[in-house]
Amino acid sequence: MSVLEFGTQLLKQVSLLGTGALTTLRIFFLTLLFSLPLGLLIALARMAPQKWLNTPVKLFILIMRGTPLILQLIFFYFAPFYMLPEGLRFTLPRFTAAVLAFSLNYAAYFAEIYRGGIESIPQGQYEAAAVLGFTKSQTFFRIILPQVIKRILPPVSNEVITLVKDTALITVLGISELFRVARNEANRLFSTSPLFIAGLFYLFMNWIVTKVFDAAEKKLSYYR
Amino acid sequence: MEILKVENLYKSFVGTEDVVTGVSFQISEGEVVALIGPSGSGKSTLLRCLTLLEKIDSGAIYVAGEPMVTTSPAGQVTYAPEAALRKIRLRLGMVFQNFNLFPHFSVLRNITEAPIHVAGMAPAEAEALAYQLLAKIGLTDKADAYPYQLSGGQCQRVAIARALAMKPDILFFDEPTSALDPELTGEVLKVIRNLAAERMTMMVVTHEMAFAREVADRVIFMDKGKIVEEGSPETLFGAPTNARTRTFLRNYNLNSGS
Repeated sequence: MSVLEFGTQLLKQVSLLGTGALTTLRIFFLTLLFSLPLGLLIALARMAPQKWLNTPVKLFILIMRGTPLILQLIFFYFAPFYMLPEGLRFTLPRFTAAVLAFSLNYAAYFAEIYRGGIESIPQGQYEAAAVLGFTKSQTFFRIILPQVIKRILPPVSNEVITLVKDTALITVLGISELFRVARNEANRLFSTSPLFIAGLFYLFMNWIVTKVFDAAEKKLSYYR
Repeated sequence: MEILKVENLYKSFVGTEDVVTGVSFQISEGEVVALIGPSGSGKSTLLRCLTLLEKIDSGAIYVAGEPMVTTSPAGQVTYAPEAALRKIRLRLGMVFQNFNLFPHFSVLRNITEAPIHVAGMAPAEAEALAYQLLAKIGLTDKADAYPYQLSGGQCQRVAIARALAMKPDILFFDEPTSALDPELTGEVLKVIRNLAAERMTMMVVTHEMAFAREVADRVIFMDKGKIVEEGSPETLFGAPTNARTRTFLRNYNLNSGS
């Protein structure tokens, strides 16, 4: 194989994997878009004093964190059809099922990170806000949450990095994301190089994620 | 005019001895009251009840004549409706032992945040007020600093400015110098002394007996949740009538060497 041939082969593979990577990125961003705010709601419900509210939420978190994400993917795709009575059966589009499973799963993890962050803020902050006359929501959004965000950046960046790699799991639903495209290519060409290139894709994405979180931490380093 | 009236206030917690068992007193406008007593005597709990950080078990509190909380003869405790409570709360300022500044806000924003977002003051007006207060506490050059860049004494002075920015009718201090190195207490006491000279109504929980004697118009001595003795600083420190007060002050003098 000449250098030229090798070069065009490589370019072909990279652009093919690139289309798979786009699907991966769509799943990635949609999951963050839904799970970050949802996680906050779940955290607040988890910390609510009302048992009727916090008990089901605890159960939800237990299930989402306690079962394999790959099973949850399969569940959200197949359960609406196989577990519902005749007449009510439906099937979500694969992509939707994947985003749903990922969002709920990651929201459960984010919720516990938020909770840890919120509970780490000293009581004195709430008391100072209360005597100054801030309402509960003002206290949360102006005083507590900004401090929580600074504290939870490192664990959140951990989760986001894991999310990049976890997107490979949706291959079980037959979605042509990066990992599936790479594996198909590897099988077709009888070569491991597409898998290796896919690995570089994941690494590159996480390099960017790391840079973004480094920048965010730096931006919030103006106070302690 | 009386700013604060407390009647037969009770507050207890499960598992702590810092309780209040039937306390009554009044504070007039412009009066400076020092609240002294051993730890666990209920001083801090009393202050927390007065600033609505704790709900009382029974009794009554009136702020500038308005009922904040009352208790019916049958023992039913009723707080004023939320809207009225919010207004009453704005009349009360509090300075904490541990400052509780907002670490993510600059000194200036620590002071302006509540006037702007709670009192609805125009931002420019709030800033002007903040600079006025910063000049008063001698920290004009720290307006853009963050709390972590300040010493404890500076933090506490900012906390005082933050409370003053809401123009309270009465300012409570919960051991304002207890978390400070001895050489930093002076600068905080000086600020409080200046406020006293301006006839700011204040109630100060303190272990600084010399300070209480110098600044207070009246001293209240509490022990085991009750007011044991109260009077002018001359009487209470000079010629205490109660045996418990005498013991406390004697131990205090021995321990602090003052």
